[in-house]
Amino acid sequence: MNHKLKIAIYSGVIPSSTFIERLITGLSISNQCEIYLFGAEQQKLPYNNNVKIVGYRNSKLSKFIQLVKYSILLFFFKGKDKKKLDAILKSKNRKTRLDKVKFYPVLWCQPDIFHLQWAKGIEDWIWLQEFGVKVVLSLRGTQINHSPIADKALAAMYRREFPKVDAFHAVSKAMALEAQKYGAKDSKIKVIYSGFEIEPATPIKNKEDVFKIISVGRPHWIKGYTYALDACKLLKDSGFKFQYTIVGAHGNIELAYQIKDLGLQNEVALLGKQPFNDVKEIMQSSDLLVLPSLNEGIANVVLEAMYLKTLVLTTDCGGMLEVIDDGVNGFVVPIRDAKNLAKKILEISTLSTNQIEKICTCALHTVKKQHNEKQMISGMLQFYQDL
Amino acid sequence: MKQKAKKHKTIGLVLSTVPKYSETFFRNKIKGLQKHGFEVILFVDYFKKGDADFSCKIVAANNYSSVSYLSLWHSFKALVKSAFIHPARSLRLFRLNKKDKVTFTNNIKQLVLNQFILAENVDWLHFGFGMLAVNRENVANAMHAKMAVSFRGFDLYLSPLKHKNCYKVLFKKAIRYHVLSNEMKHDLMAYAINSNQIQVITPAIDTKLFQSEKSPSNSKQLQLVTVARQHWKKGFIYTLEALAYLKQKGIDFQYTIIGAGSEQERITFAAYQLGVLENITFTGKLPQEEVKATLEQSSIYIQYSIQEGFCNAVLEAQALGLLCVVSNAEGLSENILDKITGWVVPKRQPILLAEKIIEIINLPEDIKKNIRTTAIERVKNEFNLEKQQDEFVRFYQN
Repeated sequence: MNHKLKIAIYSGVIPSSTFIERLITGLSISNQCEIYLFGAEQQKLPYNNNVKIVGYRNSKLSKFIQLVKYSILLFFFKGKDKKKLDAILKSKNRKTRLDKVKFYPVLWCQPDIFHLQWAKGIEDWIWLQEFGVKVVLSLRGTQINHSPIADKALAAMYRREFPKVDAFHAVSKAMALEAQKYGAKDSKIKVIYSGFEIEPATPIKNKEDVFKIISVGRPHWIKGYTYALDACKLLKDSGFKFQYTIVGAHGNIELAYQIKDLGLQNEVALLGKQPFNDVKEIMQSSDLLVLPSLNEGIANVVLEAMYLKTLVLTTDCGGMLEVIDDGVNGFVVPIRDAKNLAKKILEISTLSTNQIEKICTCALHTVKKQHNEKQMISGMLQFYQDL
Repeated sequence: MKQKAKKHKTIGLVLSTVPKYSETFFRNKIKGLQKHGFEVILFVDYFKKGDADFSCKIVAANNYSSVSYLSLWHSFKALVKSAFIHPARSLRLFRLNKKDKVTFTNNIKQLVLNQFILAENVDWLHFGFGMLAVNRENVANAMHAKMAVSFRGFDLYLSPLKHKNCYKVLFKKAIRYHVLSNEMKHDLMAYAINSNQIQVITPAIDTKLFQSEKSPSNSKQLQLVTVARQHWKKGFIYTLEALAYLKQKGIDFQYTIIGAGSEQERITFAAYQLGVLENITFTGKLPQEEVKATLEQSSIYIQYSIQEGFCNAVLEAQALGLLCVVSNAEGLSENILDKITGWVVPKRQPILLAEKIIEIINLPEDIKKNIRTTAIERVKNEFNLEKQQDEFVRFYQN
């Protein structure tokens, strides 16, 4: 390459969520591209020199300064482009000050690639193609999996805009298939699995007489915790001794009521959000991580548990079957099926130490091979360079 | 402060907002009390457009929700009024709160926030929901008024899960409680509240409006219906699982959900994953006449709630002659008498619900007719507005 690719990674906020930050850091360390971050800057992070931040604080003054600065720069140095963008925005009835605060800096910097992280924003950014910028969209999470099923207007927007997108990055093969329902062409989608490395915390052995089960994640209905709690009721009724902890669900009334309703106060605990190191420790001291989700791309929490050699039981949702082979490197049950979930937990609780070790070693091998940071970064770089 | 001698009692009703047209419970209650000669003052957090036309006096609190000069000004005014317009009441509230170990800062806050209530004269101060009485436990006493609190379901069963020990002070007070069902009374007594303090007054409906001349729906396709906002406590996901089971068994049905809510995406996605999306009609919120018309086109009403105080919609469905199948959540098993006016199925067990629906479909016509008739009669006799109004009058006379 003669010059470094200018890639904008856009989620609307700086910093983004953990997995997007991993991508930003990994790409910047590779030294093969320049990363541009646009949007509302909520916190300053120590990125290296390959990362340029063109953000604004969430205050009227900061937004005003951003607007004035880039309006002047565009007016004097890219007047034609500014006129062209203004005309586009006018035609779309999107010419508010906030729109300009968002769009002008991107037009000024004009990256080679604009990588949008969330599908709902695609309609806002597709105009960049008029200025020679390649628009890339990540296919991840609820915005692909279930939002367009209930929101017909959103589904229609996807059908209108997806055929225009230059390329898609899918976090799983299942997600790629889902996006094709809205007109994303198979040939334009590249599946690149998320990758990371985790150092195990100091192992804490489970010395108690109860089987320790854990789930980790926000208390959103898509996580399927109500099914896990129904399964807990079945486990309790069968006389099985266990302790189930949901990290990140503290304060959720629906789950708290279900626990009370089913008489599970002694068996189930809802914890608040914990620092990652604490989550690692809880994971390592647990016998089993359960992912009762109704849909996922590929749940990072499962990959993390596999890195930490904690047994994993997942539903067969989204891309989870691309990681877990039932009985080989973890366990799988159907979605929305409390009875089978309880049955599988009972089966897992009878595994011998040797069997557990074999499965956990196999799981570690899977994530090291399929979900390491190196493959993610090289895959993403190749993906950008092929555009 | 001297109180004028009054012929009729004045009831101060504390709510968050002025009841909307669709919130029949409080509107009927106010109307009934006025009909029986009571004066009603409604205390609300804020006014909305159109509230001025309401049938009773409305007193709204100042807006203290944001930190602004206006809030500070309102606070200052409230303190001045407390000190100079009703000093005895303010002092009494302060002392009673102090006795309850309320901190000085919170005590001053209470004086400011409750000043709009303290300034009025009432015989009874009745809080429309449990949570509205929190941090106001001594206001009625300070005004030398009797105090009552209504519990309506969410506030008794769910609020304490979010706000631990929120009723700790309230439940120690010698006040009167109104609940919607015997189950709720029983659950309230578990907080060491004396049975004599609690009165069950069930919801009621306009039985003249909810009566049908039409014969039950004869549609070949089974028509199922629920009227409820789309909230997790209404148990829609379990209901859909039951319907997926019906579909597996080859039963042709259409299920109409009347109501709106924040869980539309969750319910739609569940219907999609369970393969019953094409069998579901979401009408959104409908006016009362359209609700009635939709119910009249249906044969079975489902209310498979996870948590439910009593449920007016089930009363309306019974009054219109629908066969009702409900969960055993709190007041529902009093709303429907199992196998007499409908069917009650244990909650969170969708297969049992599905099997019950199949059983109902296969019942002989005369048994169905008998259930319908008994339900219609019972609703007419026991859940009519006149009876409810009389019970409230007695509530305040005792």
